[in-house]
Amino acid sequence: MTQKTNDQEILAVSKIISIFTDGILFFDQSNKLVLMNKEAEKILNISKKDVIRKKIIELIGTPYLENIVGALLSGRKKRWEEEMEINEKIINVSFVKNNGTLIVLHDITKEKMVEQMKNEFVSIVAHQLRTPISSIKWTLKMFLEESFGRTTKEQKKYLKKIYTVNEKMVELINDLLNIAKIEEGRYVYKPVSTNLGRLIDSTIEQFKEKAEAKNIKISFNNLEKNAKVVVDPEKIKLVLQNLIDNAIKYNHEEGKVMIALKKEEDNLLVSVKDTGMGIPTNQQKRIFTKFFRAANVMKTDAEGSGLGLYINKELIEAHGGKIWFESVEKKGSSFYFSLPLQKNKNKIK
Amino acid sequence: MKKKILIVEDDRFLRELIAKKIKEQGYDVSEAGDGESGLKLIKETKLDLILLDLILPGIDGFQVLKNIKQDPETADIPVIILSNLGQKEDIDKGMDLGAEDFLIKAHFTPGEIIEKIKITLD
Repeated sequence: MTQKTNDQEILAVSKIISIFTDGILFFDQSNKLVLMNKEAEKILNISKKDVIRKKIIELIGTPYLENIVGALLSGRKKRWEEEMEINEKIINVSFVKNNGTLIVLHDITKEKMVEQMKNEFVSIVAHQLRTPISSIKWTLKMFLEESFGRTTKEQKKYLKKIYTVNEKMVELINDLLNIAKIEEGRYVYKPVSTNLGRLIDSTIEQFKEKAEAKNIKISFNNLEKNAKVVVDPEKIKLVLQNLIDNAIKYNHEEGKVMIALKKEEDNLLVSVKDTGMGIPTNQQKRIFTKFFRAANVMKTDAEGSGLGLYINKELIEAHGGKIWFESVEKKGSSFYFSLPLQKNKNKIK
Repeated sequence: MKKKILIVEDDRFLRELIAKKIKEQGYDVSEAGDGESGLKLIKETKLDLILLDLILPGIDGFQVLKNIKQDPETADIPVIILSNLGQKEDIDKGMDLGAEDFLIKAHFTPGEIIEKIKITLD
């Protein structure tokens, strides 16, 4: 291809991309910046004439563009996306390598703002709901304790039922608050060295009554009594609570919940197996999505918010771990999560 | 002599409920609906324990707690926070300011709150 036709080609493409609402940059195979549209100039706050036809190396040190060049130089994949703060805006930057590199800058500041408003809204509503729910909880409890005079056996039966329903609302609000925090990305982590086995022990202890009510046996096979992980213990406890709660809730009377802890390469692996109703194969894909509840569960159990496993996935991945499951309908489910094992202290130093 | 407990809580219904429960246990109860009148009562009365809400009209609970702990006359009165805030930051902040305990209203029954009061007073 002659230089002339190449220039003509660039001119033609420039014309087309000049009207795009996203910022576009294109580096050719020799890593020279050959295309750039108006929107990219605007987003990066630079003028085309200062940068066009320059090589990547020459662009290091150009404000804003530098971030992109840095990501481009360290990127190893064929295509990827990154969120960057550029000139007080939040930009989704996507990179596509194919005979050169195409970079698309998409301004997502507005979406991020709406998302933040939504999270704040959920958080405020949830907090506000806690007050009336507390009054209901306290009043019911005091009726049951006969602070307001005697209550009959039948009255007590129904008061207890309302109390249980109200407790579900308390849990739902907790879930919503957790999710709002996770999605805001300001979930505070204070990772400390934690003995995972002991955390599991104390969580099982909390579910004793609930399990006994359904005659369910919980066993724990701890093969790593001394192993530690560096985690936020409250968050990992929440993950365990969600898994054990599900294993009891979706189990049969006299079923089993089998928990195990073992090492697998550089990770600690926790499994929570139940002998319950399982997850239908055609619904397994969606099990970690927000508000999703499997069809068989919906028929038998009206409770549950569809938030627990979503929270779990977010939390485990935020700790650098993985979560997955195996399930056969009517046989039971096994949930697994792994967390990176704490390295020997000497090695860290 | 009966021990005296102050409840600082802006929601009147909740305040009435917990006041009734505490009285049943044989304690004396004072009530305040906002931070300002709470602080006034704390200065004027001899108290054995304070149940303190955090979100209050005017001076909030954190500020009330700060004032209690800064004044040598009142610094020794145990304060139990009873609030519906409950994120880690809130709890850390309350405990750092010198609270004895941090109870989330929706997570505790009146009976459980009484237990905490008894443990603190013993």
